[in-house]
Amino acid sequence: MATVEMNGKTFEIDEDGFLLDYNSYCDEWVEYVRTQEGIDELNDEHWKVVKVLQDYYEKNGIAPMVRVLSKLTKFKLKHIYELFPSGPGKGACKMAGLPKPTGCV
Amino acid sequence: MPEGKYCNKKPIETPEEVNFLLSDTSGNTYYEEMKSLDVDSDLMWATIQKTMKSRLKTWLEICAHCGMCADSCFIYLVNKKDPKQVPAYKIQSTLGEIIKKKGKVDNAFMRHAMEVAWSQCTCCNRCGTYCPHGIDTGIMFGYLRGLLYQQGFVPWEMKIGAGMHRAFRAQMDVTNEDFIETFEWMVEEYEDEYPGLTVPVDVENADILYTVNAREVKHYPEDLAEAAILFHVAGENWTVPTEGWEQTSLAMFAGDWAACKMQVESVYDAMERLKPKRMIGTECGHAHRATVIEGPYWAGREDGLPPVESIHYVEWLAEALREGKLKIDPSKRIKEPVTIQDSCNYIRNQGLKNATREIVSHIVEPGYFIEMSPNKEHNYCCGGGGGFNGIGFFRKQRNQALITKRDQILKTGAKLVLAPCHNCWDAIRDLEEEFEIGIRWSFLKPLVIKMLDLPDHMKPEE
Repeated sequence: MATVEMNGKTFEIDEDGFLLDYNSYCDEWVEYVRTQEGIDELNDEHWKVVKVLQDYYEKNGIAPMVRVLSKLTKFKLKHIYELFPSGPGKGACKMAGLPKPTGCV
Repeated sequence: MPEGKYCNKKPIETPEEVNFLLSDTSGNTYYEEMKSLDVDSDLMWATIQKTMKSRLKTWLEICAHCGMCADSCFIYLVNKKDPKQVPAYKIQSTLGEIIKKKGKVDNAFMRHAMEVAWSQCTCCNRCGTYCPHGIDTGIMFGYLRGLLYQQGFVPWEMKIGAGMHRAFRAQMDVTNEDFIETFEWMVEEYEDEYPGLTVPVDVENADILYTVNAREVKHYPEDLAEAAILFHVAGENWTVPTEGWEQTSLAMFAGDWAACKMQVESVYDAMERLKPKRMIGTECGHAHRATVIEGPYWAGREDGLPPVESIHYVEWLAEALREGKLKIDPSKRIKEPVTIQDSCNYIRNQGLKNATREIVSHIVEPGYFIEMSPNKEHNYCCGGGGGFNGIGFFRKQRNQALITKRDQILKTGAKLVLAPCHNCWDAIRDLEEEFEIGIRWSFLKPLVIKMLDLPDHMKPEE
């Protein structure tokens, strides 16, 4: 299994770079994904998206639809893309430590 | 050992069962359990006797082992012409062996057959156009996948995908309510820019019934908005169904024949219920194959056709541009080297090459379009078709397969690739991520919207 390192911590990732064990999510993981995604600086809105994704995932065992993410964060779709240019299903879920979405994504 | 907790012969039927399998992240335990899964040879042989018809039997028998199929297979070429990647060898050594042994094969054989069926063939059907006998290995692998699925030897994501269709009648956990709510939300977000934009729901006798890919609802809802905008600007009388809106079929990739039938019948029911003049599906390749080309046979329709005339999005777009329903502002046409990815599922499988090139003639400034080589019905698969993109277990093999498309694109010199198929779009995105060749890729809808010459009453006020 592939691993990546950030600030002294090591993470096991899947073949598409998603965190293998949700429980190993931590600030260093967020920092790793931030650099991968080319996001300059994280603001409160990035954190809000991450938190909403995690709350939903912990309750439902799967990532939410973008519609649900938009409702819960009150962010418009365009704004979510401004925050996570690679999109909510890839960049945002990856940062939140969620597994890779299945299906045609 | 018989059936595993995660890996077994039982199809997934409910949202709870989907979630249970998803909880085994990446299918790590699933694949471990698969190593001990029993093969039910009697069941497999009985299934073969019931379902294997003369065409497949004949193809297996008449293959002359001439090797003409070898160079037609991009996976053979991109794997240094490994003889084990010759299409005839791949199918004879898997399906052919199962038939010879009347289903009496062991666990290791089945796991090997799974690897061949899902990582050495994308069911692109290119070999079938080069075989002197017309033998299509892609079709045979589609059949083999069905036998493997029945026995539980199917990649983790494919089992989930087929289960989603059974549980939700969609390839993802998207309900009918989610679909309508998301579409309405998208229309709201764009109606300031396009006054009067709506999503007509369950309208009977409309000119167009529009069907989509669940991923657009779950992950890429802007695609729904773009479809609504283009129908709106073109002045079309269109509708979406509250039920039967999902055109795709991961069940087809998985080899879950029963789920294929369930899924496509939900779309046909919508056609029967709403009686539209035509059905138009989104910019997806396999969705078209599943619902328009293969679906009628799954549903047992004797005429081999869906209940109403069903066309691909590119056919509608070409027609709308030709008839002037959509007008392009020539100053906004693409003025950079650009190429197009021909989707196997509707170019090779349904001959729509002229539709996409007609669109190109409207949206690309003359002199900037460059064909890939080979192209049209001879084009190579994007590298991720047939479910390959979605299977983490075979990611290394998929990334190797992307090299063919990478090199085809590099040879054109194009910086923009038109990809009117979700699978192709994903594969081209992934090849850019993997190899960083400096290209962009796009569906047609967002490009066309940016270059529209809007009718006067729709132009934004200064």
